[in-house]
Amino acid sequence: MSTPGKADLAVSISGVGKRFKRHTDRRGSLKELIVRGRAKNEEDFWAVRDVSIDIPKGSVYGLIGHNGSGKSTLLKMIGGIYRPTTGSIVTDGRVAALIELGAGFHPDMSGRENIQLNGSLLGMSRKEINAVTEEIIDFSGLSEFINEPVKHYSSGMYVRLGFAVAVHMKPDVLLVDEVLAVGDEEFQRKCFDHLYALRKAGKTIIVVSHGLGQLEGLCDEVAWLEHGQLQQAGNTTDTIAAYLHRVNRDEAARNPNITATRPEDDRAGNGVVRVTKAEIVSAAGDPINHAETGATFNLRVGFAVSESILGPNLRIALQHDSGPLVSMISNHAVGYDFGTIEGEQLVDVAIEGNPLLPGRYRVHIDVFDYTGSTLLDTWNDAMEFPVRSQSGEIGQGFVKLPARFTSH
Amino acid sequence: MLTDLYTRRALIWAFANRDFKTRYRASILGWGWSLLQPLATLVVFAAVFSMVFRVQAPPLGNGESTSYAAFLFTGIVTWNLFSSFLNLSMTQLKASGDLLKKVQFPGWAPVLGASIVQLVQVALEIIVLMGLFVWQRNIGWTWILAIPILIGTALFAQGIGLILAILNARFGDVQYIVAVVLGALYFLTPILYPISMVQGHNVLLSAVVKLNPMSWFVQSMHDVMYSLTVPTWWVIPGLLIGGFVTFWIGFVIFNRASEDLGEYL
Repeated sequence: MSTPGKADLAVSISGVGKRFKRHTDRRGSLKELIVRGRAKNEEDFWAVRDVSIDIPKGSVYGLIGHNGSGKSTLLKMIGGIYRPTTGSIVTDGRVAALIELGAGFHPDMSGRENIQLNGSLLGMSRKEINAVTEEIIDFSGLSEFINEPVKHYSSGMYVRLGFAVAVHMKPDVLLVDEVLAVGDEEFQRKCFDHLYALRKAGKTIIVVSHGLGQLEGLCDEVAWLEHGQLQQAGNTTDTIAAYLHRVNRDEAARNPNITATRPEDDRAGNGVVRVTKAEIVSAAGDPINHAETGATFNLRVGFAVSESILGPNLRIALQHDSGPLVSMISNHAVGYDFGTIEGEQLVDVAIEGNPLLPGRYRVHIDVFDYTGSTLLDTWNDAMEFPVRSQSGEIGQGFVKLPARFTSH
Repeated sequence: MLTDLYTRRALIWAFANRDFKTRYRASILGWGWSLLQPLATLVVFAAVFSMVFRVQAPPLGNGESTSYAAFLFTGIVTWNLFSSFLNLSMTQLKASGDLLKKVQFPGWAPVLGASIVQLVQVALEIIVLMGLFVWQRNIGWTWILAIPILIGTALFAQGIGLILAILNARFGDVQYIVAVVLGALYFLTPILYPISMVQGHNVLLSAVVKLNPMSWFVQSMHDVMYSLTVPTWWVIPGLLIGGFVTFWIGFVIFNRASEDLGEYL
């Protein structure tokens, strides 16, 4: 039955589906069984449907998708916690599921006692546990507190101990569900180092996460699930980009007017110029509700000039949602002159290769006369818009400067 | 079945260890509480049934006297082993539901772990019982036969407990039904009265008592602990085999029915 390539697979998922019964009433009472008969007010619900994925040995494989897309259900099926309704999953080697760290920890027992319990839950024999207990304590960094009941542990300590146990059972396939976002920075690094070491040792790691940036750095391949169905699988960057594209598109469909402006009251200036419009549009000029890091977009400003004036200075201030002014854009600064104008004006300001990192940005607009001494109009909080990531990269700070490295 | 039990022995033991360590952790009397309940039952029932209903216990094995209290306690200890296994199995499986959603492990492991800890309580009760008999100077070699009888009782109870646990996981009503049935069965087992009291009085009642498997376990305990006699040769091997077969059936049914346990618990 097996094809030659199957030997290199850690997990082979073929045509897997999982149906849950949705109970509209209190489930599992005898009354229900007797009075209504079976399967009457039960509705079928496919959490995962017809998914086929091959996960090679020694790879790090990511599962992405919305909440409720079936990622976790699929992970639980790989871990043997759920049985597939259709199809089959073949795993090669020992599987450890980090669905929840420290599963089964009893609050009244000491850390050391819980290592025994948790370890045997994960399928280790007592001998194996005893052999690695000291290593686990060492890794968790909890040797001081190891004989204290875990109810006195902080949540971080709890999770550190859980992670330490799970990775020391020497699994061939490690399933990780959203558990990496715990613990302090130092411990997180330790976890990642350990995951990299496991990968180096030829172990397979399957990760479910919403941290797309994290996944991009870690995964060899990624599968994207939507409503239980596989949308795309393979190359990490491509799959994440496709997923984000969909997320962005869906959001655009849901909130067509995200650029809606704030009230126009509290305007200052002498009223010769009125800014009437502030929005963002794509490079092609189509309305959009968010900008993407790295993709050119336009700030579109409309204003009405009541009497003929000479080349005003239009200033657009970009403020990060957290407070700091990110940039002040003005036509004078870039040497653009409107010339003598009157009537309705529409200006597009192209932000080339948008360097803004993901976040929310507020836009304040003011207009000065040619000399810069008379305020013609000002509109604070004219609009705000989000910048989203194209690749899953989040970055730190506000802008991605065009940096270039050279070694000498 | 035995290989399953053997390979997961670390897990069963870990659950037993957890339950043992946490059972009476915050109470001062600790395991003393576990003896208080059967002793209180003993005192009340002994008073009511020997003084109000004037139930006569059979003569003690030493031929010197009778002791209704000792007779009653022999039955209570055996019955408690049975009923506590049933109840613990059901509650323990329910309590493990959350864990079964997160980790893959056999659902019988926490159940068996809890039963192992319950055996500690049974042992304590047996020690009190033996103390009572020593005080009555009613000692005999037949006591040794209590071990196979109790093993048979435990296996029998665990087999039924496993079936009830899996039923209860599906239908929450089961534990209430079991409470009612156990309440009735208690009186249809010769615990409060010697079996001779029903024989020859009411054909139907005596047939029911005879058909009740617990009557056989309790009656055998009466024989070897109280009357210091040996039951008919086939009784004790029968109880052992019956216990083992029940356990085996319960284990198989549990395993068949528990494949999607994590989903409906």
